[in-house]
Amino acid sequence: MPVDQIVKTVVFVIFTVMTLGGGLGVVVSPRIFHSALFLVLSFAGVVGYYVLLDAGFLAAVQLLIYIGAIAILILFAIMLSRGLMAERQSQSNQQWWIAALVALLIFVVLAAVLWRVDWPVASQQALASPSNAISQEGSQLGRDLLGPYVIPFEVASVLLLVALIGAVILARETES
Amino acid sequence: MIIQSIWLAIAFPLAGLLFNGLLGRRLGRGVVGIVGPGTVALAFVVGLFAGLDLLALPAQDRAIVVTLWNWISVGSFRAGMSLLADPLSVLMVLVVTGVGFLIHVYSIGYMEHEEDRLYARFFTFLNLFIVSMLILVLADNYLLMYVGWELVGVCSYLLIGFWFRRGDDPQDPVRLKDGELVPVPANLNPADSGKKAFIVNRVGDFGFALGVFLIWTTFGTLNFADVFGAAPEIASGTVTVITLLLFVGAVGKSAQLPLYVWLPDAMAGPTPVSALIHAATMVTAGVYMVARSHALYALAPTTSLVVALVGVITALYAATIALVQTDLKRVLAYSTISQLGYMFLAVGVGAYASGMFHLTTHAFFKALLFLAAGSVMHALGDVIDIRRMGGLRQKMPRTYWTFVIGALALAGFPLTSGFFSKDEILAKAFEFSPILWALGLLTALLTGFYTFRALFVAFWGSARDQELFDHAHESPGVMTWPLILLAGLALFGGILGLPQILGVDHALAGWLHPAFADLEGEGAEAIHHGLSAGLEWGLLGLSSVIALLGIGLAYWFYVANPGWPADLAVRFKSVFKLLVNKYYVDDLYDLLFVDPGKALARFCAQGIDNAAIDGIIDGGARLIVQGGAWLGRLQTGFIRHYALAMFLGVIVVVAYFFLR
Amino acid sequence: MPIEIPTLNFIALAPPLIVIGTALLVLLFDLAVTDKRVLGYLGLVGVVIAAGVSIAMGPRPATTFQAMAISDGYALFFNLVFLATAGLSILIAIDYLERHDLQRGEYYALLLFSASGMMLMAAATDLIVVFLGLEIMSVALYILAGFNWRQLASAEAAMKYFILGAFASAFFLYGAALTYGATGTTNLNQIGLWLSGGNSDPMALVGLGLLLAGFAFKVAAVPFQWWTPDVYQGAPTSVTAFMSVGAKGAGFAALIRVLRSGFGDSAYSADWALAAAVLAVLTMTFGNLAALPQKDVKRMLGYSSIAHAGYILVGVAAASESGVRGVLFYLLAYAFMNVGAFAVASALERRGEFSTTQRDYAGLSQREPLLAVAMTVFMLSLTGMPPLVGFWGKLFVFRAAVEAGMSWLAIVGVINSAVSAFYYLGVVVQMYMRAPAEYSPRLVGEESDAKKPAAVNLEVAIGTAVLLAMLLTVVLGLWPGPVASLVTMMPLG
Repeated sequence: MPVDQIVKTVVFVIFTVMTLGGGLGVVVSPRIFHSALFLVLSFAGVVGYYVLLDAGFLAAVQLLIYIGAIAILILFAIMLSRGLMAERQSQSNQQWWIAALVALLIFVVLAAVLWRVDWPVASQQALASPSNAISQEGSQLGRDLLGPYVIPFEVASVLLLVALIGAVILARETES
Repeated sequence: MIIQSIWLAIAFPLAGLLFNGLLGRRLGRGVVGIVGPGTVALAFVVGLFAGLDLLALPAQDRAIVVTLWNWISVGSFRAGMSLLADPLSVLMVLVVTGVGFLIHVYSIGYMEHEEDRLYARFFTFLNLFIVSMLILVLADNYLLMYVGWELVGVCSYLLIGFWFRRGDDPQDPVRLKDGELVPVPANLNPADSGKKAFIVNRVGDFGFALGVFLIWTTFGTLNFADVFGAAPEIASGTVTVITLLLFVGAVGKSAQLPLYVWLPDAMAGPTPVSALIHAATMVTAGVYMVARSHALYALAPTTSLVVALVGVITALYAATIALVQTDLKRVLAYSTISQLGYMFLAVGVGAYASGMFHLTTHAFFKALLFLAAGSVMHALGDVIDIRRMGGLRQKMPRTYWTFVIGALALAGFPLTSGFFSKDEILAKAFEFSPILWALGLLTALLTGFYTFRALFVAFWGSARDQELFDHAHESPGVMTWPLILLAGLALFGGILGLPQILGVDHALAGWLHPAFADLEGEGAEAIHHGLSAGLEWGLLGLSSVIALLGIGLAYWFYVANPGWPADLAVRFKSVFKLLVNKYYVDDLYDLLFVDPGKALARFCAQGIDNAAIDGIIDGGARLIVQGGAWLGRLQTGFIRHYALAMFLGVIVVVAYFFLR
Repeated sequence: MPIEIPTLNFIALAPPLIVIGTALLVLLFDLAVTDKRVLGYLGLVGVVIAAGVSIAMGPRPATTFQAMAISDGYALFFNLVFLATAGLSILIAIDYLERHDLQRGEYYALLLFSASGMMLMAAATDLIVVFLGLEIMSVALYILAGFNWRQLASAEAAMKYFILGAFASAFFLYGAALTYGATGTTNLNQIGLWLSGGNSDPMALVGLGLLLAGFAFKVAAVPFQWWTPDVYQGAPTSVTAFMSVGAKGAGFAALIRVLRSGFGDSAYSADWALAAAVLAVLTMTFGNLAALPQKDVKRMLGYSSIAHAGYILVGVAAASESGVRGVLFYLLAYAFMNVGAFAVASALERRGEFSTTQRDYAGLSQREPLLAVAMTVFMLSLTGMPPLVGFWGKLFVFRAAVEAGMSWLAIVGVINSAVSAFYYLGVVVQMYMRAPAEYSPRLVGEESDAKKPAAVNLEVAIGTAVLLAMLLTVVLGLWPGPVASLVTMMPLG
């Protein structure tokens, strides 16, 4: 086994431990704030996967949006709700094993799918082509967003608007 | 042109029906009494204008089809909600709405003692009756006609059984001179009478339905024009079967042998209903249907012969029963059966226009007679037994005189409407076969006799029941004016169809000619049938003599020598009993059909249904409800349970797609 | 670098855009108008215009919007279903919110946004747009379900709907991702091209299964139906009326397009047809059985709406043109009869109460004959009694199943219809054969007028909605021809 292959494997294992360990931490940690921090760890592991796969743009997006925005948003939300911040509560009850069983079942089914599927393998040439470079990806993305994907792009803004109105209504309700 | 809106003729009474049915109770009888007759009057006006529109068209174009919407369209089966306005149907519209209107007006007075609720209900049903009959006569296909046909049956059921709480009406027995008491069968209670009418009609309707099915399988269409157009190419055996089946329906609806039994019992309904059933709606449907289907009947001489024979035999048969009836309305009921026999005789010998002519005049004088009889009942507190009347002509002059006119027309007294129409039929029958003519003439003799027997017993002589007599009074104007109008029609209605030999046109035959133009030798120019003028004058004279003879005999028996009938009854006791009991046909039917049917029904209801089927169904239903309650318990309300179930569902779905 | 301005065919999406525009207008006027009912009528105007535009676009050839959405007859017909539902629901809401003191402008805006999401789902030819439409519809419905914030039940309904709905969205996304992985595209036609003519790809199949699960949640099919009774009961009745038809219709609209455009190849269609058939049987049976013992009419209608999802799935399982036509007809019929039933239910609700039990219907024929007649019409139509419109809907989907060789499915459907008569007619029995229940005040502060039956709140707008729905239920039942032929002229583009 060549050296870079070994290094890659080691790095892969590290990222896997981050991702899975983070996920487990989210589920079992008694403080919700810690859960959120574990979530960041899990996201970071996924960033590592993308880097390993040479998908630089995706890695950047994952980092910016999931860690930079979503996880931080969750942390803010937790910190702003005082009750949640202080509370320690067990995340499991006597039915936890049913949930675990179901999760395991889903895992088995999905794993079976992944096992049986003939995954297409891109040629080395396609991977090496310059179109994969981040700058190229970025401009192409912009072009696509205002070209073929303009409707999803615009409609997403409607979705956000609806969510915003919903948030306002919920906030006002608690006041009144 | 208003004829394009001929549906209005149905729509107006329908609107009245909905109005009275939904709001009548609240708005009171004043409004009901305006809306009911008013909407029928509007329908009459529509019919009148439609008739004028038809006149404005060239003769060969006088058949307008108005398609309202496509009703059913399944596969190749198509039935349009479409109406046919031609001289035949418009004539029927005028008869139905015209006579129907007068009966409606009369009902305002006749039903005045009913409570508001029943009053509104009565007018609602009455309008429904008119609507049903108009659907029947205006249909342009057999399916829609069948709808009207069945609706008419429903209406008769509703109206005959209107006083459904009343019980049987026992009749006083006849005391013969030798002291023997001859029991008179009781009048059936309204509820049972309604059922009887409906069920007997259903027997006929079944035949009619089979006929319609056979038309469909033979022609692939139910549309009149298409069926009649294609009829000549069809095997004559098939046409014979079709026409016979249709005639079974007519026998039921128009009360001919052997399905006539419902009509006498239909008297249990309020008298205006009897008038409506006997004159304007219902019983005329069979005659109309045969006239409408003349293109088929003309191709089936066997069926036509059957029709003519059934008609003439029924005419004579019913006339004999009418001789001894003691119930005024029953006399009239059997006379209706008898007169309908004449009409079938006419259409059976191919004289469709003559049949329609008699239908029209009969509508006038029979409505008149019934309404006059109703006026008597109204005056006497619902007593209808002529043996308890007598001398009423002094108390109720208007009713009396109009009844006289109706009786003259029914008896075929010269120059009245009934005289011309009956004579026309007899002349046509003579042309076809002198035997039929002779039977018809004999019936005419009996008709004159029994009609005036009832008249003399009820109105002449002295009071037999003083208490009743003192109570009697003339009916209010709202009842007598329709009588007077109808009397005018009954007296002068003959103008519609004066015989050719008088040197004038036969107006009705000319009007109907376009509808029957496809038949050879029918219509205005052919009314001058194969008989010589001398023979025709002879027949006319003979008819007059026979009518006068019948009336005279009645006078002789019941006014001049009142003891004679009693002597005769003793001498021919068995015949008398046979007639009083209506040839025991009702009892025979009871024995053959009604009692076994009831026994079977009782067995099915108690043995099979209650014990076996209900047990299974009830058990099944309990099980299902139990299952529902059990499923409901799964609905815990906890999100975690729902989520769990959803995830399990996803696993199953994905596993299915993955493994399948 | 030159800037390319892509040509955008906005006409293709005119109806949803009009609705979105109206929603924005409503938000704007909300700031200025004090009588919020005006906003309801404003929304109604937008709905009517959008419906008019949809009808006007009907005869024109289908146009596409950047391969993302299409204005084919199918989408336009669904627009009519959603707009009819939205219009009737707005009419209900105008009075209902007033009575319950919930009148706020955002309500109408959210309802319109939700309707636009439904219309986008019907028009979408790309999984991304389907998803976005789904989310717009759903997020708005989550909020609307909890709009009655003073009632715990309403908040609970919103919470349940939201959490379970989020799961369903996740299933859908997972399915979309796997489909993308299998085919390399999210465009439905491209997916269809890619998947045609070969053996079935297990990854695409699993993706299909997950997509199916996601839609099954939206249409309330077993085993994803659990939320339905709780949410229907808890949500304000005007919202329940809207989402019972709208969300179900939108779910079916997108589901059928995904199945037929994307997975229409015979290697897949046999699989999903069988799956749909099994789901149909489970859904019908569960819905009808569970509805039987219900006393609360809203909850009963919730279970009944599960059963109707089952009937419609019969049409989907037929996997044929006539099946699609049956579904289209059914949903339009369902829009009138079901929204009508909820309209009556909302008219019967007393101020401060948010549900009606069967007892509230006792003797209604004497108190409000019109409402009783209307409710009878709706109940009979929901049972599938001829000649009402519900009968034709059932006839068409069952006939499609028979034509597709699934007679057994049609038989199960007919048996289920018979069972459903039990609980639908139960309401009719209450209205016509029971004496009115005596009114006992249940709220503190209400005048104790104990001897009188509950007053009925038949205001103008609700009355209009009831009348319109009843009229259409009867007229389209007596005269189904025009809609039946319209449905055949509205193919999947």
